[in-house]
Amino acid sequence: MPTIEVPKEKWSGKVREITLGATAADGGTRAKTVTVGGETTLPYLHFEGDIPHPPAIAIEVQDRKPADWSPVLLEAWGDVTEDPAAWAKAAEEAGADVVMLRFSLHDDLSAEYARETLRVVLDATGLPLIVFGPGQAELDNDLLVPVAEEGKGEKLVLGVCEDKNYRTIVAAALAHGHLVDARCPMDVNLSKQLNILISDMNLPLERVVMDPTTGALGYGMEYGYSVMERLRLAALQGDGMTQQPMLVTPGEEAWRAKEARTEEGVPEAWGDWAERAVNWETLTASALVESGADILVLRHPESVKRVRAMIDALMSN
Amino acid sequence: MPCGGQGRCGRCAVIVQDGTGVRRRSTLRLTSDDLDAGYALACQTVVEGDAVVTIPPQEKIERRLVTDKTATQVTLPFIYDPVQHQPMHLVPVELDPPDMVDQTDDWSRLKRAVATTSDVSDLTADLPTLRRLGTVLREHNWGATAVVEMDTWDRPNGSHRLVDLLPPGSTDHLWGAAVDIGTTTVSLYLVDLLTGEIAAKAAEYNGQIKRGEDVISRIIYASSRSSRNSDGLGELGSLVVGTINELLERAARRAKISSSEVYKMTVAGNSTMIHLFLGLPPSSIRLEPFVTAINHPPPVRAGELGVNVHPQASVDCLPGVASYVGADISAGVIGSRMCDSSALTLFLDVGTNGEMVLGDCDWLISCACSAGPAFEGAGVRDGMRATVGAIEEVWVNSETYEPTYRVIPNPKLEARGDPTPPRGLCGSGLISLLSEMFITGVIDKGGHPNFDLGSPHIRQGEHGPEYVIAWGDQTEHGRDIVITKVDIDNLVRAKAAIYAGFTVLAQSVGVDLSMVERVLVGGSFGQYINVEKAVQIGLLPDLPWERFIFLGNTALQGALLAVLNREYRQQVSEAAQLMTYLELSADNTFYDAFTSALFLPHTDLTQFPSVAEVLADREGQSVT
Repeated sequence: MPTIEVPKEKWSGKVREITLGATAADGGTRAKTVTVGGETTLPYLHFEGDIPHPPAIAIEVQDRKPADWSPVLLEAWGDVTEDPAAWAKAAEEAGADVVMLRFSLHDDLSAEYARETLRVVLDATGLPLIVFGPGQAELDNDLLVPVAEEGKGEKLVLGVCEDKNYRTIVAAALAHGHLVDARCPMDVNLSKQLNILISDMNLPLERVVMDPTTGALGYGMEYGYSVMERLRLAALQGDGMTQQPMLVTPGEEAWRAKEARTEEGVPEAWGDWAERAVNWETLTASALVESGADILVLRHPESVKRVRAMIDALMSN
Repeated sequence: MPCGGQGRCGRCAVIVQDGTGVRRRSTLRLTSDDLDAGYALACQTVVEGDAVVTIPPQEKIERRLVTDKTATQVTLPFIYDPVQHQPMHLVPVELDPPDMVDQTDDWSRLKRAVATTSDVSDLTADLPTLRRLGTVLREHNWGATAVVEMDTWDRPNGSHRLVDLLPPGSTDHLWGAAVDIGTTTVSLYLVDLLTGEIAAKAAEYNGQIKRGEDVISRIIYASSRSSRNSDGLGELGSLVVGTINELLERAARRAKISSSEVYKMTVAGNSTMIHLFLGLPPSSIRLEPFVTAINHPPPVRAGELGVNVHPQASVDCLPGVASYVGADISAGVIGSRMCDSSALTLFLDVGTNGEMVLGDCDWLISCACSAGPAFEGAGVRDGMRATVGAIEEVWVNSETYEPTYRVIPNPKLEARGDPTPPRGLCGSGLISLLSEMFITGVIDKGGHPNFDLGSPHIRQGEHGPEYVIAWGDQTEHGRDIVITKVDIDNLVRAKAAIYAGFTVLAQSVGVDLSMVERVLVGGSFGQYINVEKAVQIGLLPDLPWERFIFLGNTALQGALLAVLNREYRQQVSEAAQLMTYLELSADNTFYDAFTSALFLPHTDLTQFPSVAEVLADREGQSVT
C-alpha cells in the first residue's frame, strides 16, 4: 500500500496564551484559573501543531432574572435565576469553566449594586469570571469601574470594549489587574485596529481577548465564521495584532433567533421547541469551535454538555 | 514654539558652526542638505561641549519650510512655436474689391485671399460666420484678419475652418482657454495662442455641488425625473457652463479682453463631468458594466454648449480611458510627464475622485476610487478652498494641546503688518491638523478625541466630539473654527480610499510600493500639501521625501499643453489608448485594503516605518 505524506504547514505565528482568573497564590480568590490560546495551527490539526488548551465554556448568568429570556431557558435553570449567586453555583455544577456575569438593563443599576453583585458571585463560585455591562457605553463605564475595583486582583475579563468606548474600561483593567474583551463587528481590520488602540494604552496583549462578534446559525454565522478563520490565519502567519484568543457569544445569538425564541407561528415540521432551541445553540457554538473560538459563552445547560462532548472528542486525537 | 519642543515644526532651526560639542536627538524635520549646512533643531539638540550657534532670521526659516511644498511652476516642455504647434492661425488678408469685371462672390474672394497667404484652398465656414462676411469686408475696405482653424484631432489632415473674420490689424493676440472641470473645483487658464503665455488663471467651486458632492450623486440627479426636477441633466449642464462662464469672465477681465475673443477651448475632466458638460446622459457610467456614452468626443462649437467664448470656437474635450478614469487622467499623465521616463512612477490625482496611474514610458495601469471632497475643503464643517483666510498649516503643542496655525494672508492686511483672521481650513490645513492631532495624541489611531487630556480645545459639540482650532474672538466670522469627529471620519475615509487605491494597483501588477521611484502628485490641492504630514496620516506611502513631486493641477496642465500643441494633443489620445484600466469594484481586494487603511496611519504600521519612529519618539518623550 502506498503511504501518503500529509503536507504540513509550518506557521510562524502563535496565538497568545491568556489566563483568566487568579488563585490566592496570584493575589486572587479563585479555586482555579483557565488558560486559553497558545495554538500554533488551525483548529484541531493536531498532526501539524500544538493546541495546548481546549476552548473554555462560559455560562452566562445575569444579575437578576432576565425579562427577555425564552421560557425554555428559564425552565432549564429553575429558581436560581432569581439569585445571581445561586445561578453562578448552578453554572459551575452544570460544567462551566468560567462564569460570565452580565448586568441587565434596569433602574437599580449603581456602582454600589455592581460591587455587591460581583461580591456575592465571587463568593458563590471558585471559577474565573467574565463581567459584561448592559451594553450601553456610559452605563458600562459606570458599572465596570467599581467592578474592577471590587474585584481587584481576580483577573476578571471586563467587557465590552468597542472602538468608540474603550478608554475607561481599559484604564480600569490596567489599574486593577484585569483583562478586557475587545469587540468589533465582524471585520478583520477593525478587530486588529481595536487591539492596537488598546495596546497603545499600554495594556499588555496578554490581557486582551478579542470578540469578533458572531451571528446565530441562519443569521450570518458564516460571515462571522469567515472573519474568525481569517483572523486566525493572520495570527498564525505572524501578525501580532491578531494573535488574541477569541471569545464568542453563541448562546446570546442563538437564543435571539426565531427558531429558538418562539413556539408560536412556526411550522409544525420544525418539531419540538425545546429540542430545536438547544440544537440551534449547540450547532451555532460547534461551528464556532471549528473556526477557532477559544471561549464560548453559552446559556442552556444541555448545550454546554453537548458542546463539551464535541470539544473532548476534538481534543482527544 | 508651535510644536512645544517636540522637533516637529522645525521653527527652532539654528546653524551650528562647530558641530563637535552638540548631539542631535532628532533631525526628522531636516533634510540631509540642511544637516550638511549645519542646521540643527534647537529643541532636539543637547549641548555637550563648546559650540558656536547662529540663529538665522525667522523669515529665512519660514521660507525654507515653505519651499518644500510649493509646486513646480508651469513651464512648457517645448519651445513654443505657434506656426509649428498651433492649429489656430491668424491670417491677415487683402482682397481685391469686386467690380463689374470680377463678380466673384465674397466667400470665394476671401478663400482665394486666404489661399495666397496660407496655402489653405478648401476653407469652410459656419453659417453665422458667412452671415457677417460681407459687412466686415465692406466696412474695412476689403482688408481683414481671418481666424482659421487648421486642424482638429478628428480631422488631422485639415479642418480648414474660418472661425471668425476680424477687422484688419484689430488684434495681435489669439486667445485660447484650457479648462479642468473637477467634481468640486473648476479651473481655467487663459492663454495667448500666439505666444504660449498664460494671461490669467481662475478657479471656482463647480456650481453643480449643490446638486450632489460626488459624481455618483450627480449622475443620479441627472438621471432622475421628478416634478421638482424635470431636467436634471440640463440643469447640471447649465450649472457647470455657468461656472466656466464666470471663470472666463473673471480671466478675461484680468487680461482686459472680452471672453468672446477666445477662439479655442480645450477641456479636461472626469468622464462624468465631460458627459454633463456636453449634455450626454451619464447613467450608464454608474451601472454595471460601467461604460460611458463616449470616451473621446469630437470637437463641438461653443455656441451649442452656451459657453461664452466665441460661438464658433471649437470646444475640444480630451479623451478618457473608462468610466472612472477620465480625460483629467489622460491629460494628467501628459501634464505630469510621467511617460517621459523609464523610472517606475506612481501618479496620483487627488481630488473628489482619487485616480491613480502606475507605470513608466512602456506601460500604464490606472484605477479610480471615490475619496469625497474633504481634501478640497468641502463636506467638512469649517472647510474652505485654499484662498485668503484659510488656515493652511496647523501645529499642536504636545504638552498643552494648544493649536497654532498659519493663515493664507490677505495682502492688504499683510502690508499693514496686521494678521489675517482665519475663516476656515483648506485641504492642506486639514491634513496638517489631522496629522498633528494624531501625533500629539489629541486623537487616537482610530480618530477618536481623547477627553482624558483635559484640554479646553477638546469638547463635546453639537454634533459630537470636536477640537477647537481658533476661538471665535480670533476668527473673521466670530465663530469658533473646529474640526468635528464627523469631519475626522470623512478625512480618514478620503485618505483610506486613496491609499487603498494605489496599494491595490501596485499589488495587481506585483510591484512593491517601495519600488516606486517617483510619486507625482497632482490634483487641485496637490501643490499645497506637506509630504511629511500626508505620510503621517497615511495618505501617501512612506517613501523618502525626495521621491515626491508636487505638480498642482496636472489635468489643467495637460489641457494647457493640448490647447497649445497638436503633438501633445495627440499624446493625450495615445495615453488614453495605452492605459490599462483596473476595475476596483470587480472583487473585494479594494474593500479590504480600504478598511485596513481606515486607521491612523494604517492598521499595518510596518508600512509606515517613519511614522512608527515618530510615535516611538513621542512615547519616549512622554515617559521621561
